[in-house]
Amino acid sequence: MRDIYRVLRREIRIFRQRQLYILASVGVMIFNAVFYLTLMQDGLPHDLPVGIVDCDRSSTSRSFCQQLDATQLGRVIYYDDLHRARLDMQRGKLTACIVIPEEFNADIQASRQPHIGYYVNSLYFVGGALSYSNILTMVNLTNGAVQRQVLRARGVNEKEILARIQPIVLDTHQIGNTTTSYGVYLNSVILPGVLEMIVILITVYAIGSELKYGTSRHLMKTAGGSIVKALAGKMAVYTLIFTVLGITLELLLYHWLHYPIKGSIWWMFVDILLLVAAAQAVGMFIIGLFPNLRLAVSVSAIYSVLGFSLAGFTLPVEAMMPALRGFSAIFPLRHYYLFYVQEAIFGSGFAGWWQQAVSLLIFLGLPLTVVRRLEDAYIHVRYERD
Amino acid sequence: MRETKTYAGQWLSDWYGIFIHELRHIFSDAGAMVVFFVGGLLYPVLYNLIYYNGSVDEMPVAVVDLSDGAYSRRFVRELDATRECEVYCGCVSMAEAERLLQERKVHGIVYIPRDFDASLARMEQGHISTYCDMSSFLYYKNLRTASSLVMLDEMHQIQLEHYAAAGFDAQSAYELVQPVLSDESVPYNKPFSYTIFFISAALMLVIQQTMFYGSSMLAGTMRERNRSYSSLPERLQGPGMGRVVLGRGAAYMAIYLVVGTIVTMLIPRLFHLPQRADWQQVLVLLLFFIADCIFFSFTWGSLITRRETVFVLFLSVSPICLFLTGFSWPTTAIPGFWRVFSYIFPSTFGCRAFINLNTAGGTLQTIAPELRALTVQTGVYYLLASVLARIEGRYGDRIRKAGFL
Repeated sequence: MRDIYRVLRREIRIFRQRQLYILASVGVMIFNAVFYLTLMQDGLPHDLPVGIVDCDRSSTSRSFCQQLDATQLGRVIYYDDLHRARLDMQRGKLTACIVIPEEFNADIQASRQPHIGYYVNSLYFVGGALSYSNILTMVNLTNGAVQRQVLRARGVNEKEILARIQPIVLDTHQIGNTTTSYGVYLNSVILPGVLEMIVILITVYAIGSELKYGTSRHLMKTAGGSIVKALAGKMAVYTLIFTVLGITLELLLYHWLHYPIKGSIWWMFVDILLLVAAAQAVGMFIIGLFPNLRLAVSVSAIYSVLGFSLAGFTLPVEAMMPALRGFSAIFPLRHYYLFYVQEAIFGSGFAGWWQQAVSLLIFLGLPLTVVRRLEDAYIHVRYERD
Repeated sequence: MRETKTYAGQWLSDWYGIFIHELRHIFSDAGAMVVFFVGGLLYPVLYNLIYYNGSVDEMPVAVVDLSDGAYSRRFVRELDATRECEVYCGCVSMAEAERLLQERKVHGIVYIPRDFDASLARMEQGHISTYCDMSSFLYYKNLRTASSLVMLDEMHQIQLEHYAAAGFDAQSAYELVQPVLSDESVPYNKPFSYTIFFISAALMLVIQQTMFYGSSMLAGTMRERNRSYSSLPERLQGPGMGRVVLGRGAAYMAIYLVVGTIVTMLIPRLFHLPQRADWQQVLVLLLFFIADCIFFSFTWGSLITRRETVFVLFLSVSPICLFLTGFSWPTTAIPGFWRVFSYIFPSTFGCRAFINLNTAGGTLQTIAPELRALTVQTGVYYLLASVLARIEGRYGDRIRKAGFL
């Protein structure tokens, strides 16, 4: 124990001497949290620009434009010709573009079924998808409005009119994210993902720099010649910092910002602690496998960036190529995400997520496989400088 | 011989010397080569493999059809026929469906209440509820799109039946149901494939980030050995940081013209991504973008004093840059502060320009605003890179001694 304590004091000294550690852990985490939380603070975008080329300029077409403008999602920009509108659409300035033909109003009145043309900009994901459904709704409402006028003129009562123009009512319920907030969906996984990235990089850097700067022998001496004690003491400092970061993150999301959570925040604490521990284990494994700071840092960079994609919260894993699906299991973030789905979205408790917890615990066995290799590297200081 | 050279001749020969020196330096550093060539080429391939399909097809959905009539069955059948959804099973109760959702065997529930068919037969409104798994937005989008499209189609059929029952002839019923017809057109990315959104933005970002990480690694290594590019002009004749910055830049330009061409032209070809622009125009964009990235990397690389710290500190910048391009969260919804912040990065303009040019089939005129922005950025970063190198040349020892970062 005394040896571990000595290593711990040594590590605290290193930590205080190099601002890099505090900057790369707490600094990076705070910056990322502020960035993602303020970027998507509106939850769902609104007032998406929609271009309209109104060739009719009648009261009907104007009313259509005004109503589209009044929807939460839409903001109308008028164009004189399609050419300009198309250019702005190609430039990504418009999420969609609608062309109202000449004689639009006259054709409706005469039951000649005029055509409204709309072009949806599918270059940019969320904006295009939302605008698409907004326009689809508006076109159908226009149809409904015309029908209502005709039916009213025939003396049909209002209740029957509603059943005629909208025989089926669809209500959509979003489980676990009732407001369809893109921010809630993304931040719940991306911020733990950033934490995972930080943990892996710092773990690798802390252990690897002993090799690079030739201080590993001194470390081993401080630890009384035991690699386990050396690592335990070294990691204790960072474990504390990462734990505090993780708990604060969960508190921030589910307590202070009131992100929807069906289960208990205490289990989310367990989830993030397991993620931190598993990520540390992965970090130790990488530096043990490649006892060369430069190589290990590059490998962990590639690994942790891929973790975001393979966690499967953007494109679900089952939509990936079969050959790649299995690889998602080697990222702690994937298990964190599945745990989060069960606890925060479905609230299914232990029965729902125990497999994920076990998977994350399995990661903890990884360092054992490389500890001898690392000890060898620490003692013999074989370090290629270039 | 040296004295006889003109200023321009001297400048050029110094520039050439630095260019060759830098190339040698890059090619003799295995780490940087890995970042430039393996990183620069591996990432685009990996991302293409991961996002190969790009959309979730035939997503399993549980149906609780308590009405079990002709209308409800037709609705379920049509839902099953959509590209987006597949009816995984008919459940007898919501409890059963909820269990399936929790076990993640299905990603949505469609609930049709007992009175659905009866209501429609009575010419009243029938209600259908859908419950979406919000753990991925693609699940939500799939169920929502499929159910809305089926609902609209069903609605028109039922309306036609109702009007026929009320004594309208077929033609006038049709005109009444759809007084306005709509022509839908979704150019560029018809199936809303995530692959095309993501990869188009990621390709350009890979160029910027690998260059930044690689060149900062090299700069960090130099500084670890107490050397720096900033000390070069002292050995050269006459003043001028421009030679050094431009000479080094030319080396990166040479390497990245190769990497960039592969990333922006060959990779999309290999993975059947849209390539709607002329290759000459993509090349022009590439030249603007790479030049900007070079001076961007030189400027921010001045912060790096040790080899590995660039990853530890700046790795999380990559996803941030990706979001700032607006590939998913629309640019118009990015708060003002972050929009200004995004002007720091070449990728903000480069990715958009690439998407608008390559995916939307634009021309150089289409991407003129982005090219202008890239040019301004290049100028600013060139000046900053030169000034920072000068400052480092003068005060570098003191800064290094302070040991920051």
